[in-house]
Amino acid sequence: MKMDPRITAYAVGELESREREIFESELSASSTLQNEVAAIALLADKLAAGPRKHERFDPEIRAWLLDRCLDKQKSRLRAKRTIVWTGLGLAASLVAYIGFDWIKPEQKPFQNIHLLPQDPISQYQAAPEVASEISSHSKVLAADSRKTTQFQARMPASRSGAELEHSAADRINRIPSSEQIMRLDPPAASPMACRSVDASDSAMRLKANSARRLAPPSQEFNNESYAPIREVEFVTARENPLSTFSIDVDTASYSNVRRFLEQEMIPPADAIRTEELINYFRYDYPQPSGENAFSVNLEMNRAPWNPEHELVRVGLKGREISAEGRGPANLVFLVDVSGSMNSPDKLPLLQRSLSALVENLSDDDRVAIVTYAGSSGLVLDSTQGKAKREILDAIANLRSGGSTNGSGGIKQAYETARQNFLKGGNNRVILCTDGDFNVGVTDQGGLQKLIETERESGVFLSVLGFGTGNLKDSTMETLANKGNGNYAYIDSISEGRKVLIEQMGSTLFTIAKDVKIQVEFNPARVACYRLIGYENRLLAKEDFNNDKIDAGEIGAGHTVTALYEIIPAGQTVQGSPSVDPLKYQQPEQKVVTASNETLTVKVRYKAPAGEKSSLIEIPLAASEIPSADKASEDFRFAAAVAAFGMKLRGSPHVGEIQWAEIQDIARGALGKDPGSYRAEFLTLIEKAKTIQKEAK
Amino acid sequence: MNPEQIITEALDNYESLLISYAWEITGEMESAKDAVQDTFIRLSRQNLSDLQPRLRPWLFVVCRNCALDSMRKVVKFSADSVEDHDRASEDPSPDERAMATEEGRRIWGLVAGLPLQQREIVKLKFEAGLSYKEMAEILKTSVSTIGVQLHEAMETLRSRWNRETTAVS
Repeated sequence: MKMDPRITAYAVGELESREREIFESELSASSTLQNEVAAIALLADKLAAGPRKHERFDPEIRAWLLDRCLDKQKSRLRAKRTIVWTGLGLAASLVAYIGFDWIKPEQKPFQNIHLLPQDPISQYQAAPEVASEISSHSKVLAADSRKTTQFQARMPASRSGAELEHSAADRINRIPSSEQIMRLDPPAASPMACRSVDASDSAMRLKANSARRLAPPSQEFNNESYAPIREVEFVTARENPLSTFSIDVDTASYSNVRRFLEQEMIPPADAIRTEELINYFRYDYPQPSGENAFSVNLEMNRAPWNPEHELVRVGLKGREISAEGRGPANLVFLVDVSGSMNSPDKLPLLQRSLSALVENLSDDDRVAIVTYAGSSGLVLDSTQGKAKREILDAIANLRSGGSTNGSGGIKQAYETARQNFLKGGNNRVILCTDGDFNVGVTDQGGLQKLIETERESGVFLSVLGFGTGNLKDSTMETLANKGNGNYAYIDSISEGRKVLIEQMGSTLFTIAKDVKIQVEFNPARVACYRLIGYENRLLAKEDFNNDKIDAGEIGAGHTVTALYEIIPAGQTVQGSPSVDPLKYQQPEQKVVTASNETLTVKVRYKAPAGEKSSLIEIPLAASEIPSADKASEDFRFAAAVAAFGMKLRGSPHVGEIQWAEIQDIARGALGKDPGSYRAEFLTLIEKAKTIQKEAK
Repeated sequence: MNPEQIITEALDNYESLLISYAWEITGEMESAKDAVQDTFIRLSRQNLSDLQPRLRPWLFVVCRNCALDSMRKVVKFSADSVEDHDRASEDPSPDERAMATEEGRRIWGLVAGLPLQQREIVKLKFEAGLSYKEMAEILKTSVSTIGVQLHEAMETLRSRWNRETTAVS
């Protein structure tokens, strides 16, 4: 059968005039083609005439919906706030009406679970409290487990903290009993849950649903999970002179945030990792000189959201390695082909992204594909980059179906990677999934251990996230971190291209691992400081010199940026929580060494195969702060992205800065902007501005 | 047209089409209707005079997002996946039987066996009458992909239809 899409396009009248002329001349010359067209056109006619499901809403619902919509639109036009209580009251009386009207005899069983309270309003009012209680409880759990992580990182055999954290996060998402389901009111239970409709609508909908069947919350619950993020607060340089963290080269949070905004929603605060937003962009830092794997670049100016505060940028740039300079790549794609991947933004997008990567492989590179689903299999054995056709065919033949079992396929993927190990090359398993490890064995701890063991053998792991609604963001990030890899979220073909081609070339080629940053602040110059972002990358100060502590990796040519907000010495610090003076100790008067430096940045890293770390130390001399327009474009842009992230997550630290101001800073700092990523950022600010305005 | 008219007319014109489209994605009528409810409530929050020129693709995009969302949640909560549902049992109700030809129904039955994206495209094209360009916007892909996918769907349908009719005769 000849695959010529023009046949169908012609039959349904979709060919442009010029194309149509060409096609028609071919058509007149070929009777086979004429038959094809006739057959397709006949089929098209039958489809167009075929039975339609003229399914409509029940009249009551339809009337309610129309009312609701007209009402909303009217109030929107009047630009007045509708009084929620009136709406709620109206909705509630309707609820009572529709709700009871819908109870059919065969649906009785639900009465056993006390679903419908006497007064729907009181249930609605009570619910958020329960929900917030649950969610704050789970936050505490997660925060505790985070503490555990630091201790347990030193005891690899024990149950890892991230595993605990995962189970804590699951507590909100897995919803143990149906009774609890009923009690949780979605808007408060999860910030994402009811992002589409406002409270009164959802109250209405929830009731309508409970009257109909037993699974209403499934309508309201979104299954994406994010580890809680608590912003780092200001601390005094005198008491906490050291700030230590691991670098983060992930960028997934940015594309995830973009997805939310494009769907006209404000992302949940825990999905916004400010450092990942900042690191999504490339910054033009100079190449390292001498032996060093990367350069460290410091810059200081005023914080755009608070001119009294200063902002210090720490920018790292990994040494660029030319295509000839880097070793060949041995990539094993571990592809989730479970049923949930059957959505245009998942498997098909993955296929297109992979195909784009294949075109850029050099002859010595190797690619294999392992699928995992109900059963896992080697779809493409490790194949040389020159056999492009073969690889592309294997990619094109990927089909989704079956359930997910994450563990079986991953072993085979690692085995394939090890069998084809390229010494001095980039050996990596790339896990592509929508985050579904739900069916079958879901032993997160075992999976992590496996990844850590394989990391020792020199095979690293990267994770590519796809799709919406089911994203196990925290799990995916954890897995990638355990595997010395990075985690990216792919929401469009351009993002797929960016990650796989523009970045993979560098990201995949790790030039330094376990990169840690420690900054020492000079209390004579700095009263307080605060690290922006990197909340889940913080390390204890002792961890810095401990080579056993795992940290982030940096790829060839990659940049990593961190920002510190500083309250200069001599300024009064507002709002920092006061602690009572100690009863048994006199405050220690530490001797401050006279120095004209504001701070010193120390960076520790290991060579990709090394065990011992090297140290780079760069001081930042105190000097007159240049005027804001003297700051470099990169500095200003990074500051704008930081402000965007903080404002989006409702951070108290960003002050009164307006979206338009952030946009102006970013617009004035676009620079060369290869790939127009920075220009795209401007449109995201615009989106955020519009959505927040509408929400008010 | 004033905003009220736009909403009323949108509900009149697209209610059935959207429900049918959402049903194609969720495979289940209640969640499909919920998705369409969400769609209209979101519509009512928009600036309708700005939106009107691209109202049709907008409705389908939002409806699709809502349906995909609800589908994931349904999968999560019900033991039997929506993929396993029996389409035949929902198809068709007595009142539509009158206008449906036996042939048309059988062909649409074959559509149910296509991959999701192709099913969506076939529905959007032959039921809602959307253009390739509008479909590309809705499915976030290129016009040429729509063309290829629809053609592939048509070829599959044709060969299955031939097989079926040959088997019958």
